[in-house]
Amino acid sequence: MPGPRRRLLGLVAALLVLLALLVLSVMIGSTAIRPSVVWDALFHPSADIDQFAIRDYRLPRTVVGLVVGVALGLSGALIQALTRNPLADPGILGVHAGASFAVTVAVGVLGVRDIRGYMWFAFAGALIVTLMALALGSTRHGRSPVAMVLAGVCVGAVLGGAREALQLTNPDAFDAMRSWNAGSIVGRPLDLVWPILPFLVVALVLALAVSGPLNAMALGDELAAAQGVRLAHTRVLAIIALTLLAGGATAIAGPISFVGLMVPHVARWIAGPHQRWIFAYSVLLAPILLLASDILGRFVMHPREIPVGVVTAFVGAPVLIALVRRKKASGL
Amino acid sequence: MTMTPSRRRGAALAATLLSAAIVLTACGGDSADTEEAAPAETRSVTADNGTVTVPAAPQRVVTIGNTTLPLIDMGGKPVGVTEVGASEIDLIPADQKATYEAATSLGSSGDQVDMEKLAGLKPDLILAQLPDSEFEQIEKQLTSIAPTVFWGLDVEWKALAGGLSEAGNVTAGLTDQRAKFEAKIAKIKETYGKLIGDTSFVNVDRWESSDPGTFSVADFGCVEIAQDDIGMDFPKAAAGADPLGWTSLPFEQIAGLSKYDVITYPVDAAGKPKKSFAPVVETNTWKALPAVTSGRALGVFCPGNNSYGPVLQYLDSLDAALASLPAKE
Amino acid sequence: MSTVNFGRRVLVLRRGRIAVRLDWRPVVVCAVLALAVVGLAVLALMTGSYQLGPGQVVSALTGGETGLVHDIVVEWRLPRVVAALVFGAALGVSGAVFQSMLRNPLADPGVIGFSQGSYTGALLVILVVNGAYWQLVGGALAGGMATALTVYVLAYRRGVQGFRLIVVGIGVSATLGSLNTWLILEAEREQAMAAAAWGAGSLNGVSWNQVVIGGICIVVLLLSTAVLSRSMRQMELGDDTAASQGVRVSPARLGLVVVGVALTATVTAASGPIAFISLVAPQIARRLARTAGITLVPAALVGALLCLAADYIAQHIAPTPLPVGIITVILGGGYLGRLLFTEARRRL
Repeated sequence: MPGPRRRLLGLVAALLVLLALLVLSVMIGSTAIRPSVVWDALFHPSADIDQFAIRDYRLPRTVVGLVVGVALGLSGALIQALTRNPLADPGILGVHAGASFAVTVAVGVLGVRDIRGYMWFAFAGALIVTLMALALGSTRHGRSPVAMVLAGVCVGAVLGGAREALQLTNPDAFDAMRSWNAGSIVGRPLDLVWPILPFLVVALVLALAVSGPLNAMALGDELAAAQGVRLAHTRVLAIIALTLLAGGATAIAGPISFVGLMVPHVARWIAGPHQRWIFAYSVLLAPILLLASDILGRFVMHPREIPVGVVTAFVGAPVLIALVRRKKASGL
Repeated sequence: MTMTPSRRRGAALAATLLSAAIVLTACGGDSADTEEAAPAETRSVTADNGTVTVPAAPQRVVTIGNTTLPLIDMGGKPVGVTEVGASEIDLIPADQKATYEAATSLGSSGDQVDMEKLAGLKPDLILAQLPDSEFEQIEKQLTSIAPTVFWGLDVEWKALAGGLSEAGNVTAGLTDQRAKFEAKIAKIKETYGKLIGDTSFVNVDRWESSDPGTFSVADFGCVEIAQDDIGMDFPKAAAGADPLGWTSLPFEQIAGLSKYDVITYPVDAAGKPKKSFAPVVETNTWKALPAVTSGRALGVFCPGNNSYGPVLQYLDSLDAALASLPAKE
Repeated sequence: MSTVNFGRRVLVLRRGRIAVRLDWRPVVVCAVLALAVVGLAVLALMTGSYQLGPGQVVSALTGGETGLVHDIVVEWRLPRVVAALVFGAALGVSGAVFQSMLRNPLADPGVIGFSQGSYTGALLVILVVNGAYWQLVGGALAGGMATALTVYVLAYRRGVQGFRLIVVGIGVSATLGSLNTWLILEAEREQAMAAAAWGAGSLNGVSWNQVVIGGICIVVLLLSTAVLSRSMRQMELGDDTAASQGVRVSPARLGLVVVGVALTATVTAASGPIAFISLVAPQIARRLARTAGITLVPAALVGALLCLAADYIAQHIAPTPLPVGIITVILGGGYLGRLLFTEARRRL
């Protein structure tokens, strides 16, 4: 088990890597722009056409990547702690299915065409469906993690079918959904992020507040209750936090798989079974994965770019499989 | 456990069987086949599925896939059609829209066509343009209903229009349209010959399916007519390579458009940037392009590119756009 | 295998020296299911958007009609009904095999990436090669099999453990899912919609050719399942117990994986991936027959009934026919949800 000193050093290293990626993400892209122009774009703005590329595209997508990454990582850590299931992913609770379905209805039935419009549908869809899955998976005894996951799978499948039916009978909706479904952080101007940000901040505070009780609950409900943890209270707060985080991230970027599943795994592998450390690592590692994937996606098929959701799956899956093949790597 | 669940199941089964019986009696005996009309005169037409014998004057035509709008454009009145996207229907004239809506809808294209409904329409001719693999699947069913004329997706639009008019017996409409088209092309060539000769153009587009934050240098659609029939200099994919338009480029690369003299981009009938293209026009990079600042970014209206009617509208729009071009220094 | 009689009524069939003891309930359940299947099949043959009287249908079936009426009944409706029956049964058995083998009610061939893999294969053929129908089928099979094999190999560490198989399956499926999304994004609209319709699983335009070839494969596979299923019951008790009873766990498991995947693969090849039947049918069958473990015959019958019913609904619910896979997803998901409710209530 890693000592606190090593854990702290690891955290600092992760922070440095994240900072480096943030800089890199602004510096390089599918067009070659000199570093001096990048510098001027940020600190001596003018109407130079290359400067717009930095300020209007690379800076926003970097910020979006950071925000979405933090939200996804933390929501993944929350759901895995809450369900004590190393396989849980916010997507498993029907977040993606709910958001997807709501966007399809918005595009296909209501004729909303702009991401500014259907972003809110995605957010609402994600929230409603997650809460539905949780209600469905609840017994009067409390929430059984397995039942919640099952409920999420069910709700997700039913909505997925309905969404497919809508799309196959409505070519326009089908077209619009093709790109949304891939999950991307490109083309989301910053004014799209600001309205979602307060929700994420609230969720972040909630997550920090419940990290201690969740830590106690990892050892078993009875033990936690004996330590004075209010179980129902903690669960509700954690669910609100993770729903806001995952819903907000999906509203901005579309369904991005794997980040929420894989990052907490790696975090647990590095930090051991301490929720606060896992949360801290997840918050740093998730945007690292997302930004690195995004930067990679700008170059592998130049001049086109690959949506970040596709890249994360390709980067993430091998890591996950390697982790599973390691003995006892992912026990909670 | 009580017996209630299984009793309920039994009741459900009984209900199913009962309703089956009711449906059966209700359907009984009212659908005697109408007598086949006496064999009318026939002609032979050749398309991608070989030579087909079709009625000389088909009365009940069904169109599948991309044949619907071109046939309606040439004055045809299909009795059954597969669905066309709302965004395309919005662009056609009101009378054509009425014709489309009057026809029976048979579902979306390909293997989602409701075959029994199609058979129920008793068509005497079926016209289809869709991917080869899909046609292969439904060919047998279609030909057992009525003579079927098929084109793959690779057929050139003029050939498709010609074939459709011949098979669907709407040649009068076509001849008239073709004459107008040729006159218009000649006029544009004559009026702007010098300008076209020494200007480099680029056509950009963006679709509903494009990723946010991306656009394409489009080399298919109406621009092919400007390129091939008029001879304007647009960038073109290397022979055998994928069309340039398939590559969606990040907005960063809008800056790269400054190397062209004139940019054409898609607008709607009212001359405003097409909805799916609007995000490009709104970028600062676009606004800073030399072609845009000097009024050499031309909005062009392209309501469709696989029959003469919409193509003529496109040429009118292109004509007007070229006329607005400031003389080149 | 000796069974403990819990005082339930038992049917004893004697013929000469062979006596078969059958539990009453499963026999009755199977008979009722079979009746329901036949009833629904008749209904499906009789109705459609082309109006035909029952007399015409019967006369077409007995060879008394020619031309379009014959085509509609014998060449269109009948193969579709037979396909729904046979494919549904295959999916039910495939799911039963997987659930019994992995001892997990959520297991089905989709778990080890088969569905996503076959979709990837089909998409590549449609979008990259622009291939003909039989190429698409080949692509789907190759994709599905390759994925299943990859998952199996990746999960293999001195034997295959059910949990690891599921985890690796989820990982590989998610990767391929993203790849599929991206492939659809890259395609032109007509092709993408065709691919999506195939991906939803559809029995539209199923021909005798597909039914006969698929049917033969399925019958052979069902027979192999029957042979292998003798060891299945033991494995349900746990790998250690099974090993101590002399069942060689990994070869038997591998054999069952192959048969289970091949059953789903055959259906996928003919109609695209039809979701959820393999997941839900064994569960419904188990509850109807009230057996402890997974039983194959009721699962097959429930699968057939579900597939037929879903296809009937798919053809009649919307103004134009939908792919059957969409209905199975909605019905299957809804059923799982209900199941969850009742389980939750029982735990109070």
